[in-house]
Amino acid sequence: MTWNQHGSLMRTHRGQRPIGWCLAVWLVAIGVVPARAEPTLAEEAAFRKAVARVAPAVVRIEPAGTTSAAAAEPGGSAGPSTGLVVDASGLILATAFAVPDDATSVVVVLPDGRRVAATPRGRDVPRGIVLLETEALPGEAALETVSRFDLEPGQWAIAVGRGWAASEPGVAVGVVSAVDRGWGLAVQTDASVSPVNYGGPLIDIAGRVIGILVPLPADTAGMKVGTELYDAGIGFAIPLDELLAELPRMKRGETLRHGVLGIGYRSRDRINGEPVIGSVRQGSPAARAGVRPGDRIVAVDGRPVVRIADARHRFVPRHAGDEIELTLERVDDGPEAKRGQRTVRATLVETLPPWRRAVLGVVAAASDDDAAMARVAWVLPGGPAAAAGVIAGDRVASIAAVGGGDVVEAPSSAILRGLLAGWEPGFRVRVGLDRDGATSFVELDLAAMPSEVPDEGPPPDAVAAGPAGPVDAAQVVKLEGAEIAEPPFAVLPPASREPLPVLIHLGPPRGAVTEAETAVWKAAVAQAGVAVILPGSSDPRQWSRDDIPAVVRALQSLDARRRIDPARVAVAGSGAGGGFAWLVAERLGPACRGVAVTDAALPRQVTVEPAEPGTARWILLGSAHDPRIEQDRGRLESAGYPVGTLAIEPAAGPPAAVLCRWVSLLGLL
Amino acid sequence: MTRCLAAVVVVWAGAAAVSGVAVETPTVQQVAAAAARKVVKIHGAGGVRGLEAYQSGILISPEGRVVTAMSTVLDADDIDCVLDDGRRFRAELVGVDPRRELAVLSIDAADLPAFTLAADGRVSAGTRVLALSNLFGVAVGDERVSVQRGVIAAVVPLEARRGAAEAPYTGEVYVLDCTTNNPGSPGGAVVDARGHLVGMLGKELRATTSGIWLNYALPADEVARGVEGVVTGAAEPVAGKPEPFDPRELGIVLVPDLLDRTPPFVESVVPDSPADRAGLRADDLVIAVGQRSVATRAAVERALGAVAPGDPVRLAVVRAGAVVDIDVGPRPRGATAR
Repeated sequence: MTWNQHGSLMRTHRGQRPIGWCLAVWLVAIGVVPARAEPTLAEEAAFRKAVARVAPAVVRIEPAGTTSAAAAEPGGSAGPSTGLVVDASGLILATAFAVPDDATSVVVVLPDGRRVAATPRGRDVPRGIVLLETEALPGEAALETVSRFDLEPGQWAIAVGRGWAASEPGVAVGVVSAVDRGWGLAVQTDASVSPVNYGGPLIDIAGRVIGILVPLPADTAGMKVGTELYDAGIGFAIPLDELLAELPRMKRGETLRHGVLGIGYRSRDRINGEPVIGSVRQGSPAARAGVRPGDRIVAVDGRPVVRIADARHRFVPRHAGDEIELTLERVDDGPEAKRGQRTVRATLVETLPPWRRAVLGVVAAASDDDAAMARVAWVLPGGPAAAAGVIAGDRVASIAAVGGGDVVEAPSSAILRGLLAGWEPGFRVRVGLDRDGATSFVELDLAAMPSEVPDEGPPPDAVAAGPAGPVDAAQVVKLEGAEIAEPPFAVLPPASREPLPVLIHLGPPRGAVTEAETAVWKAAVAQAGVAVILPGSSDPRQWSRDDIPAVVRALQSLDARRRIDPARVAVAGSGAGGGFAWLVAERLGPACRGVAVTDAALPRQVTVEPAEPGTARWILLGSAHDPRIEQDRGRLESAGYPVGTLAIEPAAGPPAAVLCRWVSLLGLL
Repeated sequence: MTRCLAAVVVVWAGAAAVSGVAVETPTVQQVAAAAARKVVKIHGAGGVRGLEAYQSGILISPEGRVVTAMSTVLDADDIDCVLDDGRRFRAELVGVDPRRELAVLSIDAADLPAFTLAADGRVSAGTRVLALSNLFGVAVGDERVSVQRGVIAAVVPLEARRGAAEAPYTGEVYVLDCTTNNPGSPGGAVVDARGHLVGMLGKELRATTSGIWLNYALPADEVARGVEGVVTGAAEPVAGKPEPFDPRELGIVLVPDLLDRTPPFVESVVPDSPADRAGLRADDLVIAVGQRSVATRAAVERALGAVAPGDPVRLAVVRAGAVVDIDVGPRPRGATAR
């Protein structure tokens, strides 16, 4: 932007140009700015006036007696930072950056140079805000807040801090870049925001407080934004009016955390998908409020919701303990049912017990019709369904929790997956089976996921639509495509078998994989009906992050020529290829439903998000000798992922048959 | 609308009458264009080990005197200055001010546009500025140097380090809110909205306290003093860095410095010492000496060293969650720390 525009004085009075002009003339008349001044100087005067309005409430925060090694790192929290006095009784808002969890007290330097000690009182964890309490303070500024919804991107925003000097407020000038970032948590600005003004106010040109400057926590809704982004043209502020509404709770010493509702969506598209609920966790706030799979969220707190992204925008800013109002309508009752809306209220909680995947022990047949009644293609030997007498070819006419809950008629396999995501192993269900035109009922207890890959898997012709081919019909192709420099080989089952489960196998780094090396996969591919992609590393000595796009494009290239089963895409690797497999899985996100890794630990840059019921990956870990891998197992299990063991024989090459069988079983219900 | 315009005319006339002489302020474009003519592109040594071989400089006399940042770029037999009009001159190194890390060059030319170096006058935080420099060496030949806009973010003493070495200059600098710590920027000009030279862009540095990269400029009056010293050869009385002072001279025993950043907790107080009589106690955490914040034991020793012998020593300590001020009394002459 240029700064010789008349813009900002008037922007706060949008559409009222004459008033803006009169104001400018008035400023000239009273001698604030010289006659015929460039807007530059008029704006400079306005900046100073705005800063002066809040300056008495802006204080310096200094750490007291910190020894933590992290704090001593460049950009660490050992340096001075800023806080904002919001109540003359001695309440100051600062950031978790300046006041780490283990801090028992910090020193506040007041504008007059006096030092007072302050104690952390309450916290807002998702927003990275800490409420400090200290003695009564003189000279509280009469802070005026401005709602972010009255702001428009492009208008002036000024960041104020006292990290540089306690005596004089530091100033950085920019504009409002966006008003609703981080799933509704923050306002974004291009003003220079760094550790010295974290905790300080972002104000508009009239001196009204927009929010408190923060390094947006890196774990917020998957946004990788932290302190490393200082001075990068991207800074964030948590709206002050919204923080003041939470002040009474923080004042009572509460630690505010993300609120959990306990629902999963039916759609795999986490942004544009329809907000139709696929799963409801047992005992969750959603379950207690009477939310059921098959409800569509129409509004949250009276604000309309059209896509899943809209719902996330409403949920992410809410805390555990907050009550939310959901407006719902049934979609599963069929078109003839009355589409009446109902409203329920739920109080969000901090955590739910770790989720565990529960299964009936069947694999459903692939179908071209997503809404079609699920047909059992294969029954897991020794599983609950097998014990109850379910056989391949049965159709699921109905399913219901024993002892209450909806009876869901003719569920599709997607609806079954959602229902199972809300249940737990050990849960008893009553299943109506349609066999040769007659319906019978069985009751069975859901089981946990098998801890090892079963010795048997579904024959491909049972799951996929096409007929079986001879075992030697596996074919080797090169996955050529745009922007693929070294097209990798893929081993494919016969063309008629679709949709295809896909395994991306990442071996040791050694450049491109040769056609001869595909031989070990052929029998397994034909047996399990799974396609295997064999990418090579661009550097023969190592896998690098730069290899990830080529792997993703290879998958896209396969998708362009054969239909892929989106519920059965997995990544496997060993050694260096194992670490790389985790990175590829992270890039694929929810599109990756399984990760099998041997002899490699989780790379440090991979974050373990809590498992999302319904789409959580099935993970296999090999090599029991490495304590780091056992540590990973514990982390992954406590995040709710089913983690199995992959038996491996070193020097035997990749366990092709086991891996392909595992991929074919990823859709286990 | 018509009525409003009429009001404008009336008020305008009134304002002109009140202020007497209307002050002409140049437009931003005029300021930038005029300032750019007074900034030169400097090419010298470097290009190896990732060090750039270029920076910026400021014309401070019509006869071709140039001030710039002292750097390895000047470690060359051939230093070239390229003017705004593209003319290239071989520059002579007149001398350097190692404390302010500035260098004065001279080129054989006449009637050049140049800044006036004022020896006084500081601007405050919030002042809008333009920074002009050849950042990243993108301006070639007669291409104009690059212009950045920003404000003075703060006026603070330079507490910075480059690598492990601390910067020799510890006076005040202007911190800028625009990104000027780029290759090629050092030696560039910072001007205010009227086009007056406010400062010279400094070398790449990190702040010691916060660890963040600094965008800063040496104030024009400091530049003037530095140039004056270099040109006249007059040895400026340098206030040498005060020697650290051992707090044990006051009866204060701090916990041993096991880590580089051991916080200055009081381990014990020597009975009947000034600190004891003033009421300092074991386990107190020293957070300030006078108005200076101290976070480490070494900082306490430096801050005590800055107190003149005979001047009162006032400590701020944290005790049981509250800040307590302790007046220890006059600082003895005493021995230096370690």
